[in-house]
Amino acid sequence: MGLGQDVIVELEAIVGSDHVRTAKGDLEPYARDATPLFRGVPDAVVWPRTADEVAAVLRLATRRGIPVVPRGAGSNLSAGTLADRGGIVLVLTRMTSILEVDADELLARVEAGVTTAALAEAAAAKGLLYAPDPGSRTVSTVGGNVATCAGGLRGLKYGVTRNYVLGATAVLPTGEIIRTGGRLWKDVAGYDLTRLLTGSEGTLGVLTELTVALLPMPATTNTGVAYFPSLADAGRAVTAVIADGIVPATLEFLDAKCIGAVEDYAHLGLRRDAGALLLFGDDGGADAVERSLTRIGELCTRHRAMEVTLAEDVARSEALLAARRCSLPALSRLGTLTILEDATVPRPRLAEMVGRIDEIAERYDVSIATFGHAGDGNLHPTCVVDRHDEAAADRAHKAFGDIFATAIDMEGTITGEHGVGAAKLPYLQARLGADQMALLRRIKAAFDPAGILNPGKLGS
Amino acid sequence: MTNLFDPELLDRCISCGFCLPACPTYALTGDEGSSPRGRINLMRALDTGVLDVDDPRVREEASFCLGCRACEPVCPAGVQYGQLLETWRDLQWTGRHRPVVAWGLMTVAARTSLLRLVGLVRRPARGAAAGATSLMLGCFERGLFPGVSRAARRLLPGVAVPADQGCCGALHAHNGQSHQGEEMARRLGEQLPGVIVTTSGGCAAHLATVLGRDRVHELSEHLVATGVTPVGEVRVDGRRARVALQDSCHLRNGLGVSAQPRALISAVADLVAVPGEASCCGAAGTYSMLRPRDSRRVLDPKLDAVEAAGVDYVVAVNPGCLRQLDTGLRRRRSRVRAVHLADLLADAAGGRALPRPRRRALRAR
Ligand SMILES: Cc1cc2nc3c(=O)[nH]c(=O)nc-3n(C[C@H](O)[C@H](O)[C@H](O)COP(=O)(O)OP(=O)(O)OC[C@H]3O[C@@H](n4cnc5c(N)ncnc54)[C@H](O)[C@@H]3O)c2cc1C
Ligand code: SF4
Ligand code: SF4
Repeated sequence: MGLGQDVIVELEAIVGSDHVRTAKGDLEPYARDATPLFRGVPDAVVWPRTADEVAAVLRLATRRGIPVVPRGAGSNLSAGTLADRGGIVLVLTRMTSILEVDADELLARVEAGVTTAALAEAAAAKGLLYAPDPGSRTVSTVGGNVATCAGGLRGLKYGVTRNYVLGATAVLPTGEIIRTGGRLWKDVAGYDLTRLLTGSEGTLGVLTELTVALLPMPATTNTGVAYFPSLADAGRAVTAVIADGIVPATLEFLDAKCIGAVEDYAHLGLRRDAGALLLFGDDGGADAVERSLTRIGELCTRHRAMEVTLAEDVARSEALLAARRCSLPALSRLGTLTILEDATVPRPRLAEMVGRIDEIAERYDVSIATFGHAGDGNLHPTCVVDRHDEAAADRAHKAFGDIFATAIDMEGTITGEHGVGAAKLPYLQARLGADQMALLRRIKAAFDPAGILNPGKLGS
Repeated sequence: MTNLFDPELLDRCISCGFCLPACPTYALTGDEGSSPRGRINLMRALDTGVLDVDDPRVREEASFCLGCRACEPVCPAGVQYGQLLETWRDLQWTGRHRPVVAWGLMTVAARTSLLRLVGLVRRPARGAAAGATSLMLGCFERGLFPGVSRAARRLLPGVAVPADQGCCGALHAHNGQSHQGEEMARRLGEQLPGVIVTTSGGCAAHLATVLGRDRVHELSEHLVATGVTPVGEVRVDGRRARVALQDSCHLRNGLGVSAQPRALISAVADLVAVPGEASCCGAAGTYSMLRPRDSRRVLDPKLDAVEAAGVDYVVAVNPGCLRQLDTGLRRRRSRVRAVHLADLLADAAGGRALPRPRRRALRAR
């Protein structure tokens, strides 16, 4: 245990003594992230300011075999920043410069610690849109978003973070600083390391700078809501919408339990007698948005929607989106331990999957509510139990094991946007198979021969 | 030591980190340990015995936290951080660990006779007939800003102002003596009939926690609720005055009152929005005395913003904030003046003249 005085002295020489902490009370706040039930205490917390400092820390760590866990805002839900083997938590939140926002090239260059919301605001100030929109945008960092390949509420039309990363500066565990990709939309020289780093969850390199693509800001956006007697009906409506050739920006669903919890918390006037609701939204020219929302409304009505309403103004539209964003915290008010998971199935099988989840919940005698991105088959089954009821927590974990297995059975996956982290590593082989797992480990070893970067996560 | 905190309160936090961008001390250090989520993790470590009250970081954070509760309205899970902090300080600040300054102030505040001495034997308002509403005279406000109570009385004709009120105990509740704080609030509740109106955001929030939200009104809230429309206008150099507001943390974050003072100011002057007006000024009860250096680090960017906005006055709705802003502005010889909302409204109505803003020419631009 502990790092040894000589290592600490070296770390202090690299980043300055103010930016190295090793006292017990200084480490405890970095022993957790947003994942419930996981805890791992580091030996030191280090806050670098530049890529060169990151490189020096990593070189030292490789030489001495010290684990290094990169950390942005620590808002991940997969125990991705867990220092369960001790070592250094490397916090990137001092690297917050927005280096450029270019309206001609439609791109921005930022340091990794910039929050998603700050990037979106800087882009909006120039009339541009940064499309990825995770629910955690006010706190999560661009580095963390790229490292987890975060999704969000605009995923259907715009895709996930991956589609917007043009280039990255990354520091390898051995200390080299590489620049992958660049400023170009078209560039096929070499293996696509930018894509490999995106979603690598801090196991291949530490991202210090990102170049991301921006879009012109759509002229208008609007949102509507449709209530259905059951989620199966909502699922059929989603299939009908996609089959009709409409690709709205947002197509989200809440099941009855979520509707109740959100309404209790946010008092938005949602209908509690519905079995499910669909939240749909689009952006673009005013006419096009009007047309697409009206058409979605018609299709919902044709598929047994009890009621369809379009937001009459921006404020109402925002309120509806807020209803979706607050699902997790609203559910968390129902108990003291909230475990949110993240599975994806092919879109047409969404309702079937929710049905299966309900059966599993019943079998294990736990309460699981489900909401998610209907447009891309990504669901967030959420279990709320009493923290002090260990038996219930245990049953919840078993239930999630079954849920992941079911998702894989249905040609789905164990995570659509939150990543594998330490929490889902045990399920990864079931998804990828032994050969791919072995390849993952070889890739990991090529980047990180000493195995110091975020051990116990992807590729370990 | 285990189970020191109410598990209902402590378990509520889902560690999402949404509170981080709202926290002024996290903004200063960028270290989780001085963020709400980090402090809650420190409390958890205390609760499970991983750390104890003598741990230097735990001690440091219990006092570094402003107690501004900016973390509460942004918390999606509804964590009542203010209550957790009170429990934490109860544990932390016992015996020799209690900050000396806080102890001194609390002793004064707890004794009506001493309070009157602080107020230099001023008895600001006579007792009036018992009515449905009574005005509470903040204990330190009486001493430091006796004019505020007088202005408030002018705005509220007919309210009862019982003498010898004592202190509401907010100071105690925030400094490691929550039981005494509660006891004092209850006693004050018995002394003051009907709805209690106060000119101090901090007192209002504490009283409301103990006596119930219905019985307590902060001045601006009361004026708006009872349909009082301010009369007149505040003028500077022959034009309508430009006025900024500094929200009182406990009023905004604890009681959710922020629109009312703005509505009242707009009625008598030009309200100017200043970036950061909703975040803590660093007064934070006894904080400016206990940790003057950090208090100024929190205050300085705020004063920069106020000066850059080119306002004549910055209004406070809490005596502690008023003192903090006033001291800070004087120190930098600013032309901007800090005034209490009651004073601003009384001035507009022709009741009391505000200190005039200095001419800008004094300072190079
Ligand atoms: C209420 C709530 C809502 C959420 N909503 C969404 C949502 O809609 N969509 C979604 O996808 N996620 C969501 N999340 C999950 C989380 O916010 C995302 O995973 C986010 O991308 C994490 O960013 P972060 O800065 O907090 O990274 P962290 O949590 O600090 O780190 C996440 C992972 O990235 C690695 N990492 C971080 N920074 C770097 C870097 N600079 N270089 C290399 N590796 C790095 C870490 O090692 C870790 O493995 C939500 C979380 C919460 C609590
Ligand atoms: S916002 Fe609330 S739930 Fe989230 S970390 Fe902060 S206190 Fe905890
Ligand atoms: S009360 Fe204020 S200073 Fe303390 S943790 Fe909350 S936001 Fe930060």
